[in-house]
Amino acid sequence: MLFVPQTINQGKKDVTMKTFDYTITDELGIHARPAGLLAKTAKELDSDVTITKGEKTAGASKLMMLMGLGIKQGDTVTVTITGGDEEKSCRIMREFFEKNL
Amino acid sequence: MKDKIFGVLQRVGRSFMLPIAMLPIAGLLLGIGSSFTNPTTLTAYHLTGIIRPGGIIYAVLTIMKAAGSIVFDNLALLFAMGVAIGMAKKEKAVAALSGAVGYLIMNTAISALITLKGGASAMPANAVTRVLGITTLQMGVFGGIIVGLGVAALHNRFYKIEFPQVISFFGGSRFVPIITAVVYLLAGIGMFFIWPVVQSGISYLGNLVLESGYVGTFLYGLIERALIPFGLHHVFYMPFWQTDLGGTMMIDGNMVSGAQNIFFAELASKGTQHFSLSAARFMTGKFPFMIFGLPAAALAMYKTARPEKKKQVGGLLLSAALTSMITGITEPLEFTFLFVAPVMYAVHCVLAGLSYMIMHILHVTVGMTFSGGAIDLILFGILQGSSKTNWVWIIPVGLFYGVVYFFVFYFLIRKFNLKTPGREEDDRETKLYTRKDFKETEVQKQEAASSGSSHRVSALILQGLGGKENLSDLDCCATRLRVTVNDPSLVTDSLLKESGASAVIKKGNGVQVIYGPKVSVIKSDLLDFMEMENEKPVNMDLSAYMNGTAIPLSEVEDEVFSQKILGEGVAIKPEEGKLYSPCRGKVEMVFDTKHAINLVSDQGCEILLHIGIDTVKLGGKYFDVHVSDGQEIHKGELLISFDLDGIKGEGYETTTPMIICNTGDYDSVRAVNSGKISVGEKLVKIN
Repeated sequence: MLFVPQTINQGKKDVTMKTFDYTITDELGIHARPAGLLAKTAKELDSDVTITKGEKTAGASKLMMLMGLGIKQGDTVTVTITGGDEEKSCRIMREFFEKNL
Repeated sequence: MKDKIFGVLQRVGRSFMLPIAMLPIAGLLLGIGSSFTNPTTLTAYHLTGIIRPGGIIYAVLTIMKAAGSIVFDNLALLFAMGVAIGMAKKEKAVAALSGAVGYLIMNTAISALITLKGGASAMPANAVTRVLGITTLQMGVFGGIIVGLGVAALHNRFYKIEFPQVISFFGGSRFVPIITAVVYLLAGIGMFFIWPVVQSGISYLGNLVLESGYVGTFLYGLIERALIPFGLHHVFYMPFWQTDLGGTMMIDGNMVSGAQNIFFAELASKGTQHFSLSAARFMTGKFPFMIFGLPAAALAMYKTARPEKKKQVGGLLLSAALTSMITGITEPLEFTFLFVAPVMYAVHCVLAGLSYMIMHILHVTVGMTFSGGAIDLILFGILQGSSKTNWVWIIPVGLFYGVVYFFVFYFLIRKFNLKTPGREEDDRETKLYTRKDFKETEVQKQEAASSGSSHRVSALILQGLGGKENLSDLDCCATRLRVTVNDPSLVTDSLLKESGASAVIKKGNGVQVIYGPKVSVIKSDLLDFMEMENEKPVNMDLSAYMNGTAIPLSEVEDEVFSQKILGEGVAIKPEEGKLYSPCRGKVEMVFDTKHAINLVSDQGCEILLHIGIDTVKLGGKYFDVHVSDGQEIHKGELLISFDLDGIKGEGYETTTPMIICNTGDYDSVRAVNSGKISVGEKLVKIN
């Protein structure tokens, strides 16, 4: 007997969720230094932040995975913020990207 | 090799404890139930008024007898499952199921062959029995043990097997019952041809016994005990008890054959002056060693157990000793030392043989329903009176046997450091490192190394699920890992997807991670991984990755590093343009600009090696990378070579930091070396 669940609650994502897209302007992309700063910034937030580039997604506070995305100048990334004070977190992340990347 | 055999035997012995633990209660039920429902006994003691068929007491006793006897009748099945559980390394429930499958199929294969040959009547007498409704060869507990051991071996070999995607549903632990079915079908066919040879050998021994007087009685006792581990003792003694091999006699006008039948006929007869020695010689010898000897051996085992274990083994030994004393069911006690100390069992067999012989010489004639415990001694010895049975001799001989058993066992255990219950070396508690422990540790290391990549996946999954503390339940169905977490907000979808999941579904505290049919392997690996984490606190060393001078991270002239924004670590000022791997692991990613590389060690430590400061701006010039993403690397492997002078010439620092990106996962990350250092020397310790 296979155990197959009857109901899948897939479409229903968290009601509140903030996202924004950002195109990297820094000529060096997200290399070690900015990745470190981004991870540090994301860690200090009370929200869960993920960065998506194409099909790959990484938690913004996970340094190695962040670097693993290999984000370069001209790439457009999607930043997703869930949980906690999303308004504030979103604002901080946006500021960080605009200032550093 | 010797160590290995010994280690296996010790595990076999331990795996016996589970089925053995329930034998005392089954033995008491059977012993009391059968003694007081035996019509001869009831008539002899004028109990027919109180205990009679149709009465409540009789009904209760009958149920007790049936409940006890079902356990002994199916002991082989219990051992097939119990030994499989005990010997399986992981997912023991699957091993238990497979043990049952293997046992059923083996006996069914034998049964089919018996039918083809013409049914049970075409087989030699006493060779065939019925087990779980299957007509099969009389193999006793031995049949169950070979199934249990074989199944465990198959299980440990195959429970993590991976198949191509199309049939991967049948991979992992699901494959174990399947392969078990096939193997034990063949084993059953083999047994059908091999076992009768063994049985006819035993019949030959029976004839030998009859032809040689006191020595014959000794041999009878010796052989009967020696056959118990193989479950073959019934094949051997039943002909003596029940057929004319054990003698024939005219009693009250009836021709009676078989030692036990003669005894009970004499018990029922009013004309008996003294029970026949020629019949009792096949029974009476059990009393001294069952009531006195074996319990004394149990005491010796208790006395020699480690102090902190005494309480635990005391219960097991006491109940087993009482069972032997009262009912004469000795397996619970015998199996506790049989496999860990076969030499003790050999001694036991000799002493048992002598016991039969001494009883024969002293003309003691106490019969029994099925074994030699105190119940039978009272009913068929004491209550019959010493003039008919000479039963009083059992007491001094028994006391002597108690002393002999105690000192022999005590001496053997101490002298040869036998691992009887309570003396096992618990790996985690052992303070002294023996050679054997060392070897085991080495093997574990190799295993860990060979399954490095699955551990990385497991580490990702565990991290994605919010760590071990966040898991309350873990299971899988055909394609999904089904997890109950304590706090769903700690689950990170991205990590789970990186581990190979195609989707993550959350509902309340339930999380389903969809991996496809290979999920059962993933689950096994994950359980392994968590257990490994449990057993070993993190303890990793990273070695120097360059020849040069090691400096604390805080002295690096770049605040992103020196303020440890990226994580804890260390830095080396290189003397030559070569970067080596600090550990065994995998290349996670080489930066496009070739100036930095991410590694993941076999233990899941995430490492960033960054050559020089701000060297990203060189755009790859002066760097030459020797490895590629995803490549497995060993410690000390050359990763990147670079032109030291060229980089310096462009005005960049060449100080190379090594950062532990997942510093937060550890209690401490610290440099244990500084100053002049060469590749391979210990540099960072992670706990």
